Amino acid sequence: MLEIRGLTKYFGGLAAVSELDLSINQGEMVGLIGPNGAGKTTAFNLITGFLRPTRGRITFDGKDITGQKPHSIAEKGIVRTFQVTSLFPDFTVLQNILAACHLKPKVGFWEATLHTSSSHKKEEYILGRALEITQFVGLDGAKDMSIATLPHGHKRILGIAIALAAKPKLLLLDEPLSGMNAEEVADAMTLIDRIWQGGTTILLIEHNMRAAMSLCQRITVLNFGKKIAEGSPEEIRENKEVIQAYLGAGEHAA
Amino acid sequence: MSRGKLVKPLSYSALIILLFLVPLFITGPYWLHILILVGMNIILASSLRLIATSGQLSLGHGGMMAVGAYTSALLVMKLGLSSWAALPAAGVAAGIIALLIGFPFVRLKGIYFAMVTIFMAEMIMLTAEQWRSLTGGSSGIINIPRPDPIVIPGLLNMDFASKVDFYYLMLVLMLVTLLILYAIERSRIGLTWLSIQQAEPLSESIGVNTARFKVLAFCIGCFFAGIAGAFYSQYISVINPHAFGFFFAIYVVVYMIVGGMKRFAGPILGAFLLTMLPEVASPLRQYQPFVFAGVLMAVIFFLPGGLVSLPQQLKKLIKERLGHA
Amino acid sequence: MDAATLAQSVLNGLVSGGIYILVALGLTLVLSIMGIVNLAHGELYMLGAYGVYYLCTIAGLNFFLSLLISTLLVGGLGIVLERFFFRPFRGQLERALIIAMGLILLLQNAVLVTAGGVPKASQSPFSGVLNISGVIIPYERLVTILVGLALVSGLFLLIQRTKIGQAMVAVSQDIDAAALQGINIDRISSAAMFLGCALAAVAGGLVGAMFSVAPLMGGFALMKGIAVIILGGLGSIPGAVIGGLIIGLIDGIVPPLLTTHMASMIGFGVIILVLLFRPQGIMGHE
Repeated sequence: MLEIRGLTKYFGGLAAVSELDLSINQGEMVGLIGPNGAGKTTAFNLITGFLRPTRGRITFDGKDITGQKPHSIAEKGIVRTFQVTSLFPDFTVLQNILAACHLKPKVGFWEATLHTSSSHKKEEYILGRALEITQFVGLDGAKDMSIATLPHGHKRILGIAIALAAKPKLLLLDEPLSGMNAEEVADAMTLIDRIWQGGTTILLIEHNMRAAMSLCQRITVLNFGKKIAEGSPEEIRENKEVIQAYLGAGEHAA
Repeated sequence: MSRGKLVKPLSYSALIILLFLVPLFITGPYWLHILILVGMNIILASSLRLIATSGQLSLGHGGMMAVGAYTSALLVMKLGLSSWAALPAAGVAAGIIALLIGFPFVRLKGIYFAMVTIFMAEMIMLTAEQWRSLTGGSSGIINIPRPDPIVIPGLLNMDFASKVDFYYLMLVLMLVTLLILYAIERSRIGLTWLSIQQAEPLSESIGVNTARFKVLAFCIGCFFAGIAGAFYSQYISVINPHAFGFFFAIYVVVYMIVGGMKRFAGPILGAFLLTMLPEVASPLRQYQPFVFAGVLMAVIFFLPGGLVSLPQQLKKLIKERLGHA
Repeated sequence: MDAATLAQSVLNGLVSGGIYILVALGLTLVLSIMGIVNLAHGELYMLGAYGVYYLCTIAGLNFFLSLLISTLLVGGLGIVLERFFFRPFRGQLERALIIAMGLILLLQNAVLVTAGGVPKASQSPFSGVLNISGVIIPYERLVTILVGLALVSGLFLLIQRTKIGQAMVAVSQDIDAAALQGINIDRISSAAMFLGCALAAVAGGLVGAMFSVAPLMGGFALMKGIAVIILGGLGSIPGAVIGGLIIGLIDGIVPPLLTTHMASMIGFGVIILVLLFRPQGIMGHE
């Protein structure tokens, strides 16, 4: 489904991502892990068009999407969440999801402005979908709450709900569990699993090692922008280089 | 329909009927003129707000009005077009200029985009001053004809010789403009603009072509500024580049912000009150600008949501006081 | 155009350029440190002009002394304005805009009411000209160029060599990081406003001495200042210098060949061309 070949990004003289090769098949849940600064979010930004690669090619469903704009990549079916919680601050929970239902169905300018019956039908459908999503992620109790009063864990879940509203074929989750307590982590993990079971392919960045290992069938490890290991969770757990990378990062981080 | 739902449409209808009856009570040309200016400023401030809902601040609305005024005047005087065709054509002209400017510069953020719009308005002004053969240069164009008469035998005979006819024309233009602006804002388009203004990268990530939407808002807003300009040229019958300068554009921004940017009624209220204020305060003569400046500052300091948020703030204040009592 | 006329035009261009640079520097300093466009900048330029007019032409003080006093007074006014009118709205573009508009009205009308609306011609503080092979250089223009040069160099030194200058750079790049480093943002804002208004006042004082003073003279300066900082890059000091020189030279060389309007149009045309390829200006970031 997603083919990445030789993906490289330089910032000045520094390679944030270097010659990354990655393949994701339909229906997989793949994990992307690595110490801080390994280039994981940069990779996300490159895949989804928020950054232009210095070199390399990204192909999705057979089509080359390298360097395209974020909105057209989203239209093709790749949707991402953000590491730093990104929501629409002046909308309620439900309004956030309603706003995110932009793509499908597409409401044209004239039918929207003239408030035609076809646009009303579409809006009804969108409302139905938004309510469904709210229920699916477990936020329907909070659906009319304003963002400011929302606890952190709910905000992260809302971020995922917003991405779901765009009907992704491939969902890129950037540290969805960050800042969550144990209970929230468990709920979120169930949610991510359910999304995957529903047929959505997922690429997951996560610092929470246990979660990544238990959710994903396959894991890719980055360090200093390069892929240093790839394999099943068990293989990765035993991999000496991976352990080195995390230990080394731990020393330098001090 | 429940009684609650009827209140709003009824009160708006009553208001509109009242507005149509105004010339029965106010017959003096001076106050009619002021009301006409109020209407024009409402169109300008509200269309500016449309642009603002997508997160962009335009300081060049004066320039867009100039485009509309000159286009309409030239189409009528040099090409013999009917004034009724020239009106929308002027809007389209302004919209096209907006497209040409919006397209390359839409990626610029907040303050940068605002500066470019100032600049674009200056360019328009300079072009008008320089292109003497077309625009009459610094002296501008005079003797712009009134709108073509509307004659419905037995019913209506508007020859636009008196201000009353212009009042009604402005009223209709204003109501139609507000209706259209409201309809667009309440649609999914408006929702998308709001989402862009609140979190542009997030919007992009779920598939919104933010550049295209922002240019759309800019073009629509400028379209209505062009229409206001065309009306102005047909009403005042004299235009020159200096009428639509930078400070004029700032006044439109003032009406919008002081009135209140977050609510649809904000610019309407702001334009009305702030257009009337200098007239009401005119006995103060040279001290009038101080009053105006004072009002501006007071609103910015004490009413962050603008004048339109006054009822809310008062309610809050009263609640707090009562709470302590 | 013969050599003498060209030289004359270039000289005039340098004089204009110097003025534009001073105005633009003030504007860009305030913009980069306080995150707002001080639309009232032109009014401070105007006040500087009136200050020099009253001290020098009316009261008869030495020109440079008048310039100094006027500049300090306007700079002081800038500090007051920052404290009470701009500080509450730091970083809030729309609201600061309205405040600036209010200030424009206040300042313009204060002058209109007290000094009257009629432009006043000032006595040139320096009579006499320098004559270099047919090129006439009035002393007052020379003074303008030299003062401009001195101030620009002084500013560069301030930014690079002093603690407060470095603090300003830090605030302009990342205000939160600067605050974390212990920099007093309020003090730096005050300093920026003082400097910015002082520079505008010097420009106004020089122009007022060379030509005349009028309550509405600030609008022209504001427009040129904005054009220069858009060309040079918002927030960039070297950009303001380069932009000011370019616009100034265009305004000096084009009018004798064509018209003053064409000069402005060519200036704007250059800016648009630059913006199309570099929307952030010649030396702007991002």
